[in-house]
Amino acid sequence: MLNCLNGITSTAAALNAERIRMDVIAENIANAHTTRSADGKPYQRQQVVFETVLQNQPGNITGTPVSSVQVARIEADKHPPILVHNPGHPDADAHGMVAMPNVNVHQEMADMLVASRAFEANLAVVRNARSMALQSLSIGKRS
Amino acid sequence: MNTLSAIRPVLQNLPQIQFTPKTGNATPVNDFMPVGETFDTTLRKFVGEVNTKQLAAQDVTKQLLGGQNVPLHQAMIAVEEASVSFQLMVEVRNKLMDSYQELMRMQI
Amino acid sequence: MIEALFNQTNYAATKKVLDAAMLRHEAIAANLANVETPGYKRVDIATSFSSELNQAIAAHEPSRINALRPSLELDSRAVAGTRDGNNISLETELLNLQQNTLTHTVGTQLLSGALLKLRLAITGRSS
Repeated sequence: MLNCLNGITSTAAALNAERIRMDVIAENIANAHTTRSADGKPYQRQQVVFETVLQNQPGNITGTPVSSVQVARIEADKHPPILVHNPGHPDADAHGMVAMPNVNVHQEMADMLVASRAFEANLAVVRNARSMALQSLSIGKRS
Repeated sequence: MNTLSAIRPVLQNLPQIQFTPKTGNATPVNDFMPVGETFDTTLRKFVGEVNTKQLAAQDVTKQLLGGQNVPLHQAMIAVEEASVSFQLMVEVRNKLMDSYQELMRMQI
Repeated sequence: MIEALFNQTNYAATKKVLDAAMLRHEAIAANLANVETPGYKRVDIATSFSSELNQAIAAHEPSRINALRPSLELDSRAVAGTRDGNNISLETELLNLQQNTLTHTVGTQLLSGALLKLRLAITGRSS
């Protein structure tokens, strides 16, 4: 169909990637205190890895290849679980230590802010593309 | 006698001075109508250029509708330029018709 | 004859600036899409384009202006602000976005004005 919006493919890919990142952060926060997940071990923090991918297809009105972004993989954070002394906990081991997930909630909140800032920046890009397209349509129009 | 002998060389050279008529009936006054062109050919060239503009606008519109990578502003500019050229041609035609009718109305 | 109508220096320059603005928007979109990607380097319109355009305008040669082709290149002056090598500054990029959109608006307004003036000259009526 008609390609009216400029650069829309990079922006769409970026919005998608940031949304995936926010989903992963939300999952981390929700499981910040899960000491026993499906495999019996404490929850392992997940992190998203972005990568640049070259775009040369519709959405680049000028035909110049520009870079877009995509989620390369969602991988587990290799840091070991945090050991906390809590003898009364059902999952406490022989020494009274509980293995808590390696999630730092404050860090996750900061990451969430960064991801939503990037998301809104890309929304601004799409808004501007739309306004430019509408302006182009009114070239030569008598008021 | 002296004047006759003075004139004789001039009279002998007369046949070599020839009258070279200009081609067509146009005298160039500016770049708009070069030598050798009649009003007819100028008008044809003008209509041909307007047609070229229309075809270019149609081409770019077809590309745009086909989803190819043509910038929207370039399509709009091509269409507007074609429209302005066409309007120019229509106004020229109107003026020509008016002047023709005025000529016809003239009392001899 | 018709080409001479549209072969004015300012008109051709405005069209070229609009082309460059569309290209710049794609560059800014790519930059903002990769604002969180490690190691990404900023792209923008080639710096030579601006000087070439100014020279062609000063020489009053519309054919030279029409032959210009804006292109994208890596921005050599951007400085990496984070440890992962990404040199995009979100604030600067958003400002560039606004500026570019306004440049585009200025271009479309100038073109519309020129075309409406031509129509006025042709028909003697403003609409």
